[in-house]
Amino acid sequence: MKPGLVLLCGMLVVNVWLPAHAQSSAAKQIKGWQSQGAAAADPQQGKLLWFSKHGVRSCSSCHGASPLEAGQHAKTRKPIKPMALSKNPARFTSQRKTEKWFRRNCKWTWGRECTAQEKVDILSWLSSQ
Amino acid sequence: MKEANKMKIGAILLGCVLGLSLIGITRTVLASGWSGREMEQESYEQERNESERYEHERNEYRRQEAETRPMSAVQQAYVEECGSCHMAYPAGLLPPQSWDKIMKGLEDHFGENAELDDQTRAELSRYLQQASAPREGQYRRMIRNLDQQAPMRITELPYFRHKHREIPSRFIQGNDKVGSLSQCDSCHRGAQRGWFDEDSVVIPGVGRRDG
Ligand code: HEC
Ligand code: HEC
Ligand code: HEC
Repeated sequence: MKPGLVLLCGMLVVNVWLPAHAQSSAAKQIKGWQSQGAAAADPQQGKLLWFSKHGVRSCSSCHGASPLEAGQHAKTRKPIKPMALSKNPARFTSQRKTEKWFRRNCKWTWGRECTAQEKVDILSWLSSQ
Repeated sequence: MKEANKMKIGAILLGCVLGLSLIGITRTVLASGWSGREMEQESYEQERNESERYEHERNEYRRQEAETRPMSAVQQAYVEECGSCHMAYPAGLLPPQSWDKIMKGLEDHFGENAELDDQTRAELSRYLQQASAPREGQYRRMIRNLDQQAPMRITELPYFRHKHREIPSRFIQGNDKVGSLSQCDSCHRGAQRGWFDEDSVVIPGVGRRDG
């Protein structure tokens, strides 16, 4: 009886608390960029950005054709876990990590840093998936 | 201790020594019955078998130890920062001068941007220096024939090249599941934990290597 209860509680935490936590964490980051001057989130625009090509490169080069599925690093082929919050509640829980990868990946993919507005749109799309 | 007990222990010890030397003498007498050549062969093979078994046991022990040892905070930081685009290469695979060069050029890291903030970079550099390829121990072979050169890649080390020279390119570049020799973990199943012995190599789509 007891182990069952503990397991149930554990599952509750994983199923309810983690996604909620991640959601709020993503939302907090979006608010942060908005306080830097970004406007309301436009998930559709985020989706367009995600698949837009710069030469042969796009965010999907590594993150794959669907954010609901795992991607693969274009050069090293190391698997990358899904980007959609619903599939991977650990996403966007660390502001430091999210900012670091936005900086690197926007530079690599588009040859420039992303604007606060682009980050708002992309993150709002990924966290609605 | 009582005098009688001391005597008893003494007698037991003496018995052991006598017994052992008896066995030794018998073996020598028996052995000398064989021809010298055979004996040499025999003892050489025995020695080799023993040293192989010893090596194997030691490897097994090291592997188990490596798999169960918890990671320190700095090792966790290393895996987090240097293990997201490829496996986190164990520090022991390159000499200190190579790590130094790599950590000073993270903005252009093999065509990618692997920048870190100054504090993290300093912390990881220190860790890599201190855990880099040693003159002794498991990884000493990695830096064989290297002197003070500072190659940026493990895959450029003379020892590495030597060990992988016979693998046909259809198993590497022509293999969807491998792609390049830099992806150690696609063939060495213990790579993440710093484990590279020949016994645990499985080339995907090819299977275990014989011999
Ligand atoms: C060259 C491969 C590559 C490309 C192209 C790429 N990414 Fe990434 N991205 C990665 C890797 C590797 C990670 C870190 C691994 C992980 O978090 O699972 C990552 C992580 C991220 C994260 C961090 C997620 C988190 O949990 O906080 C964000 C955000 C991100 N990428 C956005 C983008 C955007 C936006 C683009 C397009 C402009 C893009 N990526 C293109 C490889 C790439
Ligand atoms: C943004 C992605 C990314 C990050 C982060 C990253 N690397 Fe790399 N690294 C690469 C790529 C791409 C290569 C080249 C792989 C290839 O040629 O297949 C590479 C290659 C290497 C190699 C050479 C492997 C060989 O061929 O022998 C070493 C060593 C290395 N990285 C160390 C590090 C260290 C240390 C860190 C952390 C400070 C790090 N990497 C972080 C992308 C990354
Ligand atoms: C395509 C598969 C493949 C990849 C990728 C690969 N190896 Fe190997 N490696 C092998 C094979 C096969 C052997 C055994 C060679 C032999 O039989 O002597 C080997 C042998 C070795 C040995 C010698 C082991 C011993 O006990 O003598 C070391 C060390 C080693 N590899 C390290 C690495 C490292 C480090 C990487 C990544 C930078 C790597 N390997 C990538 C297939 C691979």
